[in-house]
Amino acid sequence: MSDQPVPAEAAPSRNLVQFVLRLREAGVVVFLVLLGLTFGLLNDRFLSVQNLTIVASSAAILAIAACAQGVVLITRNLDVSVGSMMGLVAYLTADWTANHPGISPAEVVAIAVVLGIGLGAINGLLVAYGKVPALIGTLGTMSLYRGLTYIYAHGQEVSSSRLPHWMLESADIRIAGCPIYVIIAIIIVMAVAWFLYAYPLGRRIYAVGSNGVAAWFFGLRAERVVMFAYVLCGFLCGIAGLLYAARVGTVNVVLASGWEMSSLAAAVIGGVSVSGGSGTVIGAALGAVVLAAIDNGLVLLRVPEFWRMFIQGAAIVAAVAVDALIAEAIRRSTAGRRR
Amino acid sequence: MAAKAKRQWPFWEFTLIVAILGAGAWSSTLSPYYLSVDQLFGSTRAFIIPGLLALGLAVVVSLGEIDISLASIIAVGTVTLSKFSAAGVPLGVSAPIVVAIGALCGAFNGLLVAKWRLPSLAVTLGTMGAYRGLAFIIGSEVGYTDFDDSYLWLGSEYIFHGIVPVSLIVFALMAILVWFLMHRTVYGRRCFSIGLNTDASWFAGVDVTETKIRAYALAGALAGLAAIVWIGQYGSARGDNADGSILFVVTAVVLGGIDINGGRGTISGVVLALFLLGTIRNGMGLANIGGPTQTVVLGSLLVAGVLRPAAAAALARLSNPARLKAAGPQGVESSGQE
Amino acid sequence: MSAIESGQPIREPIMALKGIGKSFGPVKALEDVGFDVYPGCVHGLVGENGAGKSTLVKIITGLEQADEGEVILAGKSVAFRTPIEARSHGVAAVYQDPKLFPHLSVAENIAMGAYPAGWLGGLDRRRMIETARHHLARLGSDLDPRRTVAGLSVAEHQFVEIARALSADVRVLILDEPTSALTPTEAERLFAVMRALRDRGTAVIFITHRLEEIEALSDTITVLRDRRHVATLPRAEVDRAKLVQLMVGRPLETLFTRRDRPSFGAEVLRVEHLSLEGVFADVSFSVRAGEIVGMGGLVGAGRTEIAQTLFGITPPTSGDFYLKGEKVAPNSPRQMLGKGLAYLPEDRDRDGLIMPETITHNITLPILKTLSRWAVIDRAGERRVAAKASETYNVRTPSVEAIVSSLSGGNRQKVAFAKWLATEPVALILDEPTHGIDIGSKAQVHAMVSQLADRGLAVVLISSDLPELIAMSDRILVIAEGALVAEFAHDEATQEKVMLAAARQSGRRRG
Repeated sequence: MSDQPVPAEAAPSRNLVQFVLRLREAGVVVFLVLLGLTFGLLNDRFLSVQNLTIVASSAAILAIAACAQGVVLITRNLDVSVGSMMGLVAYLTADWTANHPGISPAEVVAIAVVLGIGLGAINGLLVAYGKVPALIGTLGTMSLYRGLTYIYAHGQEVSSSRLPHWMLESADIRIAGCPIYVIIAIIIVMAVAWFLYAYPLGRRIYAVGSNGVAAWFFGLRAERVVMFAYVLCGFLCGIAGLLYAARVGTVNVVLASGWEMSSLAAAVIGGVSVSGGSGTVIGAALGAVVLAAIDNGLVLLRVPEFWRMFIQGAAIVAAVAVDALIAEAIRRSTAGRRR
Repeated sequence: MAAKAKRQWPFWEFTLIVAILGAGAWSSTLSPYYLSVDQLFGSTRAFIIPGLLALGLAVVVSLGEIDISLASIIAVGTVTLSKFSAAGVPLGVSAPIVVAIGALCGAFNGLLVAKWRLPSLAVTLGTMGAYRGLAFIIGSEVGYTDFDDSYLWLGSEYIFHGIVPVSLIVFALMAILVWFLMHRTVYGRRCFSIGLNTDASWFAGVDVTETKIRAYALAGALAGLAAIVWIGQYGSARGDNADGSILFVVTAVVLGGIDINGGRGTISGVVLALFLLGTIRNGMGLANIGGPTQTVVLGSLLVAGVLRPAAAAALARLSNPARLKAAGPQGVESSGQE
Repeated sequence: MSAIESGQPIREPIMALKGIGKSFGPVKALEDVGFDVYPGCVHGLVGENGAGKSTLVKIITGLEQADEGEVILAGKSVAFRTPIEARSHGVAAVYQDPKLFPHLSVAENIAMGAYPAGWLGGLDRRRMIETARHHLARLGSDLDPRRTVAGLSVAEHQFVEIARALSADVRVLILDEPTSALTPTEAERLFAVMRALRDRGTAVIFITHRLEEIEALSDTITVLRDRRHVATLPRAEVDRAKLVQLMVGRPLETLFTRRDRPSFGAEVLRVEHLSLEGVFADVSFSVRAGEIVGMGGLVGAGRTEIAQTLFGITPPTSGDFYLKGEKVAPNSPRQMLGKGLAYLPEDRDRDGLIMPETITHNITLPILKTLSRWAVIDRAGERRVAAKASETYNVRTPSVEAIVSSLSGGNRQKVAFAKWLATEPVALILDEPTHGIDIGSKAQVHAMVSQLADRGLAVVLISSDLPELIAMSDRILVIAEGALVAEFAHDEATQEKVMLAAARQSGRRRG
């Protein structure tokens, strides 16, 4: 046994791991194309430019939320308060804007972003420094943030008539035929992806999620990194919440409820691993497009809406299973003699 | 010796009892009707359904796993019951089938978690959506309210001169059963062992996979039972039944002192936590405090519940810094080297 | 040429350790260790398993904080809080098991913590890859720095680790068993790098079990034994025999001698051509009732893996296993416990005991079935069994309701014994039963094992403690690199013979 050259034996599985890790996003794109072709065959309206634009713009905000979720997932944590953060930010920002006519767009954005960062920081403190399991901590803040929205709203909604025109019209702006929300989403996702890819802190987010023990041996301060990931998540949710508010015009208290689930589904389908360290926010955004395409296709095919829930849930389970297979392959090919 | 006896004094249970009495006293100042026997027994109905889920979840959490799909299993159960009722199947036949379906849904979660070793949180988040979707698919979007009277009995009737809800008796029986299972039988001991140290338990001959699948199946079966109670209480079955109630359930389990990482806690603590949450909710209802505020209170209690061990550890560190120095990741890391 | 051999005046030490002590709870991990490390010098650090080498490395690099003593770097007392801080002061270590980030590329793993900055403060990937390639090339490795770490072989992991340590401007480089996963050619390349570094004035602390490597490379050798410093000597003053003697030498009173003429019963346990692909191959041996068969070898030779395979933890890929003449295919501990085999794991605190539980619950966990009726635990009976067992095995505790983690290492081990023996096994595999326990308890454990054999149990004793292995065993098997390489009868075994056999195959690749 001991004389055999090891590399030759281990090579196939090794290449597979590399291949899958590298091409996870490409896989999502291929899936997306196949999905599009299937829907296109079943319904000729699906692949029209007009419909694809609808898909893209409905995916835009979810893509930002999925990107936020993705950043936290990469650190091997989770944030189920994404929807509640978006809702609270959207309501507070819209309410403030309605009560301060003449406020400038920059101020509105600043309010939303600061609120988002603050809410994200609370999550981060709980999980990174309070050592509360991510699910429980953010489940708590999920109800907290949503409940605060209700309390603050007192059953009222911020109607579109009270919001400034530029805000309501922003959703309809198109640049070269492309809805501005799609452009904003692409810019934000690309910026976050670039940050994670090219900056030391971004790489540490991956490192902490990839191998916590190694991070400890290496001397990385995992708490700070996790804290930062949650703050970034809150920041992105702030932006997503504001965009959502501007798009729907009338902001009510249930805005973006259930988005924790959708953002998670999008991220996981897009190849972000729930066991941390792998996947990209671009993948998460692509996952959002997949979900939007499924939604849209099901509507066109007149399939009842609730099938979406089933498909989304099954997709999460399937994505997690694929993920576990990859993790197992990594474990087997990596050093470590014990189990 | 620093740690001589395991459970010297049920400190946390005692704290919960004091809190219940406090909440009760507060409630009685809000409404003159609060302290009537009818009101007290009647108010327990509010937490029987989440209570049944909490009993099952407590077993799963004692293993160091989690199941957040339980509320969706209720929905699968209620819409299935509606089909049975519409087909004229007697409850005596359909009830066991629905409980079995719940157990099956749970066992599927368990299979994914224990056999395939998938992370329980992500898996049950997925099946939460999938089961909910399934419930809609079975039941369509329109609610069913035309239940046969026999289907309503368990959830709506009162016995003992119309004072004690039948469902409360069912809950009490289940609570005793689960308490006995977890604190008196081989199975319960194994659950706690796995929660504390899966590897060592496996080395000691415990079948970890089987134990976990059974726990999930039990939680699913209790959710199936909860579905029957639901029909009686609300008289309607729809795909969105019990949506969002998992927060209450998780809060009860965590506040009841079950360690979210597994291995510790008591069923009596969970039952007391349910009473506490029920009393607080009842009181807030009497005080006309709205649902949203209740949600905020619930969320805060959940966070407080999970921060409790961390806070206790911090206090211990303040009072006795030297002893705990060796603990923490360093201590764990140092074993197994060389 | 090293500084010492070339006769240069001895310079100031670059690093001096003074009276380093460390304990984990009641367990002492290091006591009063101190020596000097000179620049331009390879400092060999040797000692048996558990002698405290790894803990010492962790203290130097800031992973653990010493309870006593100080580390002096270039004349200044330092206490690093993290390895990053240590690295920035030029102290870097390569640990025994590579600790890398599997999802990141080789280049990133090497650069982590010291990224080259580029455009807008981002990291300069091209430079990072070039640097990584350069450092790997110095080690003679042509590994592609853009590859993901997941999927690399153990040896490649090791190279990445070493390249990472070299990427900082190191003054003190610590290598903890760097060659355990390398082929002779790869190891040779590493040695060349070590010599080059030494000649440039770097101090290298080199830890290895392979004595020939120590002899070939070290300028100075420090020996640790039982978590204490034994000696620091120039290479010229030691030969292998002396080294072995320093490493294993131990006060006489700790040795327990097995009864004179043991008589053995029928064969209880027989293993034929047992293999686990890539870990061990073609292992055959048998143990008779009342016999203690020792298993010696280096760490990572495959002894624990053989034991765990027999106990059903990792089923074998081929080979047969007979227990009391009955052929069994091990596939779970539960099954093997049922067949009458018990295994006392090497990592007692992690696998052997449930630390936050009571003594009673630990002892009765494997036998709950027999202590219950209709699945209901007979709690009084359970406590009786636990009390009796802890009395039999001499567990010193105020009550069987005490939490196991509050006990000392020796007492924990006795609880573990009580637990496994409560299953009434016919064969018992002990994996490092006296690792990390105090001398008094050690003698008690020895007496206990001896008694058990006298009662007719077949015992396999895995131990890296050579005097113990030789004193206790009726027969000694030596495992090296996953193969059974030697067998000695009780009379013919000496520490030197066993150690030489264990190290004999060194340098060949592990499959």
